[in-house]
Amino acid sequence: MLPAIIVVCALFLYPICSSIFYSFTNKNLIRPTYRFVGFDNYATILTDKSFWNAFLNSLKWTVFSLIGQLLVGFTAALALNRVKHLKGAYKTLLIIPWAFPSIVIAFSWKWILNGVYGILPNLLVQMGFCNEPPQFLTEKTLAFIVLVLINVWFGAPMIMVNVLSALQTVPQDQYEAAEIDGAKKWQSFLYITVPHIKVVMGLLVVLRTVWIFNNFDIIYLITGGGPAGSTQTVPVYAYDMGWGTKLLGQSSAVTVLLFIFMMAVCIGYFAVIGHWEKEDK
Amino acid sequence: MKKKLALLLAGVMTLSAFAGCGSDSGKSDGKDPEQVSSINEDGELEGDITFWHSFTQGGRLDTIQAAADKFMDEHPKVNIKIETFSWNDFYTKWTTGLASGNVPDMSTALVGHVVEMINSDALIPLNDLIDEIGRDKFSENALNEGTVDGNNYSIPLYSHAMVMWVRKDLLEQNNLEVPATWDELYEAAKTLTKDGVYGLSFPCGSNDFQATNFLNFYVRSGGGSLLNDDLTANLTSDLAIEGINYWLKVYNDCSPKDSVNYDVLDQATLYYQGKTAFDFNSGFQIGGVEQNSPDLLQYVDCYPIPTIDGSEQKGITTSNQPIVVWKNSKHPDICKEFIKTLYEEENYLDFLASQPVGMLPSVAGIEELDAYKSNETIQQFQHAEEVIASQIPGGTAIGFEHGPNLQAGLLVNQHVIEEMFQDIITNGTDVETAAKAAEEELNTLFEAAVQ
Repeated sequence: MLPAIIVVCALFLYPICSSIFYSFTNKNLIRPTYRFVGFDNYATILTDKSFWNAFLNSLKWTVFSLIGQLLVGFTAALALNRVKHLKGAYKTLLIIPWAFPSIVIAFSWKWILNGVYGILPNLLVQMGFCNEPPQFLTEKTLAFIVLVLINVWFGAPMIMVNVLSALQTVPQDQYEAAEIDGAKKWQSFLYITVPHIKVVMGLLVVLRTVWIFNNFDIIYLITGGGPAGSTQTVPVYAYDMGWGTKLLGQSSAVTVLLFIFMMAVCIGYFAVIGHWEKEDK
Repeated sequence: MKKKLALLLAGVMTLSAFAGCGSDSGKSDGKDPEQVSSINEDGELEGDITFWHSFTQGGRLDTIQAAADKFMDEHPKVNIKIETFSWNDFYTKWTTGLASGNVPDMSTALVGHVVEMINSDALIPLNDLIDEIGRDKFSENALNEGTVDGNNYSIPLYSHAMVMWVRKDLLEQNNLEVPATWDELYEAAKTLTKDGVYGLSFPCGSNDFQATNFLNFYVRSGGGSLLNDDLTANLTSDLAIEGINYWLKVYNDCSPKDSVNYDVLDQATLYYQGKTAFDFNSGFQIGGVEQNSPDLLQYVDCYPIPTIDGSEQKGITTSNQPIVVWKNSKHPDICKEFIKTLYEEENYLDFLASQPVGMLPSVAGIEELDAYKSNETIQQFQHAEEVIASQIPGGTAIGFEHGPNLQAGLLVNQHVIEEMFQDIITNGTDVETAAKAAEEELNTLFEAAVQ
């Protein structure tokens, strides 16, 4: 028990407490001294339009990525569930994006999408879709869409594997009984499949929401939050604040706000999932 | 159970948002370490030291390791542990390590970092070491970059300068001379922007400081500075505004649009691959071209960075890569002894030869040695080597034309200038409005750091 407590304290409680503590100070990364400033950091951040821009970007990033990952992952799981042969091989192929470190993925996509020598832009020109290589990461909206698509590609396999596992627990005799009763495919899906997997899906949504919202590496490595802050999310904003501008006090305040928001979202999600579980009983 | 597990995972992931910002710090980092004698009863050096460096590329890494091995052979009671980090990781590592006392005994550093380290009272002076090697062997500019109140806190290991790289074949094919002024460079770059080649890429990705570098070239070449004498930011002078407009013109007419997000590697890769006709970089450019497009190597050469009126350029941005000894070290004597061996002729020549032309000697007299001059790459790129060497004495790190100052490091690392360019390019913000906003932002950050 004691080792577990020590690990939890060292890995989680300490950084949390120190972040909360520093959020009330004017701590600068390269200045040895600091003083308490009350809620000044929070006031500064909440009146900074860059923070709200990053927050809005984070919301869009999370919602669109999550919807995309669920759609692609769920569809792939349904398709794979019907495959009779080589299911393991397909599953392995589809999980490949998850096997690579995000730094490899980020640099690979950056390379693929480069507007001068990138494979994809030049392929589109060769195929006659456009006269000049498209600049995927230059225009604000397009850059954001491209990042979301990369995130969908990256995250969908995780949804797929989990949903596939859940699908395989649905008793086959229920489908057979429904078929005998004359139920259509969509009715079997709606009244047998969905109830069996909705709790798993709900939990996946919770985990993925937190994961995607906190995602930093892919965005930072591909666009650095640019152009002009169009892909800057709250974690990138917090990083720039802490390591770019070195205002660790303000950066800590951002993470505390992020924590409060994510806890509120999680509580909401779990209320819904709890309601589903009660319904099932 | 699943719900509890998910709740736990969600909680852990949410909490992990804190991890990036948690930082331990005492109210003062400048504690005197418990230094112990490095000489044992037998008169031998004894002790363990840790050396952090950022020479991640093979050749340099190997020569430093070889020098350490040799030193340990000569001093069997000494153990040198070498840890290597990329420059970005290095910065994170020392700033966080300083707070918890987890810093090395000695390390390499960037010039801007050294000032921050001095400001944090983290280094010891190396005057005695420099005197022992020979103070007159080092350039005054290079030593000044790490000097505060007469104390030399860093010693330059090698030097390089930013110069203009050209593609001789493209210039010849288009009957163009090597540009000597910014206007000539623009015209030449515009002419050469065709057939899948861009004249000159203007990089302004917000996770690097390339746009600051480029703007600094223009402003310094006109005799100005991005910092005022009182060390406030200066982005609204006529010269700075002219420089901003110049680079916007280059971006619009000669550069791939993607360069709005480029960092130094993206930028250099274009030149390595023969996709740009001009670029600004140090002698490391040669190694990049050699690895990526060896066929192009014969067409690559460099010249001084242009000026506004075509007058002779004597250097703008020089980098004298320093080594420092940390105050936390228990064995500064061992560090100094080891550093001294890095400058021994055999070790030093091996080290420089791992990146010929990329790393030029910081110690006078080395360039005259036959062993140095006989290097194949130095012979092949004799002109480039001479140009870079000629620019080193006249240049400084960005902002160091005002002497060592904290603001110079912040000017480079904040990426405010990059964001200013992105704002102008992407949002169409008026140049003077964007420059004023960036200047104010920098000054606010300067004030926060130097309070």
